[in-house]
Amino acid sequence: MTVSLAVPDVLVARAQAGDEAALEALFRAFETPVYNLVRRMLRRPEDAEDVVQETFLEVVRSIKQYRGEGYLWGWVRRIASTKALMRIRRDQVRATESLDDEPGKPGMHVGANIDLERAFEHLSETSRAVVWLHDVEGYTHEEIAEQMGKSVSFSKSQLARAHARLRRMLDEGATA
Amino acid sequence: MMHCTMDDLGALRAGEASVWARRHITECATCQAELERLYQRVSQLKALPALRPPRDRWPAIRATLRAARSRRRRTVGTWTGSLALAATLAAVLLLSPSSGGGNLHAELNQAKQQSATLEDSLQQYDVEGRVLSGRAASVVADLEDRISAIDGTLAQQRFETQEAELVKLWQQRVDLMRELKNARATRARYVGL
Repeated sequence: MTVSLAVPDVLVARAQAGDEAALEALFRAFETPVYNLVRRMLRRPEDAEDVVQETFLEVVRSIKQYRGEGYLWGWVRRIASTKALMRIRRDQVRATESLDDEPGKPGMHVGANIDLERAFEHLSETSRAVVWLHDVEGYTHEEIAEQMGKSVSFSKSQLARAHARLRRMLDEGATA
Repeated sequence: MMHCTMDDLGALRAGEASVWARRHITECATCQAELERLYQRVSQLKALPALRPPRDRWPAIRATLRAARSRRRRTVGTWTGSLALAATLAAVLLLSPSSGGGNLHAELNQAKQQSATLEDSLQQYDVEGRVLSGRAASVVADLEDRISAIDGTLAQQRFETQEAELVKLWQQRVDLMRELKNARATRARYVGL
């Protein structure tokens, strides 16, 4: 999803002054791209909704610190991705590269005619986060590694494993 | 024949591939097709439709924002009120040092001291801006309201108020502050502070 949101400076200034209507306007401008980003990273919709709320509370609290360097969307996106990654870290059991996504394991047969979106949903949250941030949002492995508190090679290997798994699931779906 | 791994294909995409992989991809139709598939998958991911939030979260954010602003105002008010109360009580104690008896006097000072200590410790559980469940927010708001009500009562006390009554009010305040501290500490542990 490509986001090309331009927010007027005057709106940002009003939000920085604590104007509630301006803060709501910022929320309306970014709620869908933020939700889309964190929902792609997180498996559970309710987790994504919570992260949206946490993100905007952080935006409200920190908007005065935004100095206008770069696009506002980039600043908001960084807050959102950090919070989503924090949630993944907080629940390591769910985030751990799942034993359950290995092909051939019970309960993980994804069925025929699986499309890419469904296959993507079967990845672990860590894999989803890396794939989405790198391939769609354009983050570098260095940026992902920094945000995840992991090494660059971790980010690269997660990406490769995730693509190998996607390819396998799509092939299995096509031949089932 | 050895083929490119997914790591090799990713490195080719990023322009960081080994000499072997760069040479191999020019000669191997299988790996060329695999690399093309990788590009297609990435393009398809980028083209996925935006997922839209199922519910409007702004009312909850606005409520938290307003509660935080209200709490800030109340905290300032409470501190101002506490300072005024302290001055008033000091005047009472100075003007009529024997009016309440030694024990009551000590109890009053102890309750005031406990109240001040709890005020201090509450500062470290600043949950402003954090997501509270509806129930937790309700408990905290109720406790804060009850503390404010006691502060209002204390502020209306006159010099001639019996020291026993003051002790009772201050002790009620301390009990409520303890409950508030527990509520916030529990929440702070829950969010992993």
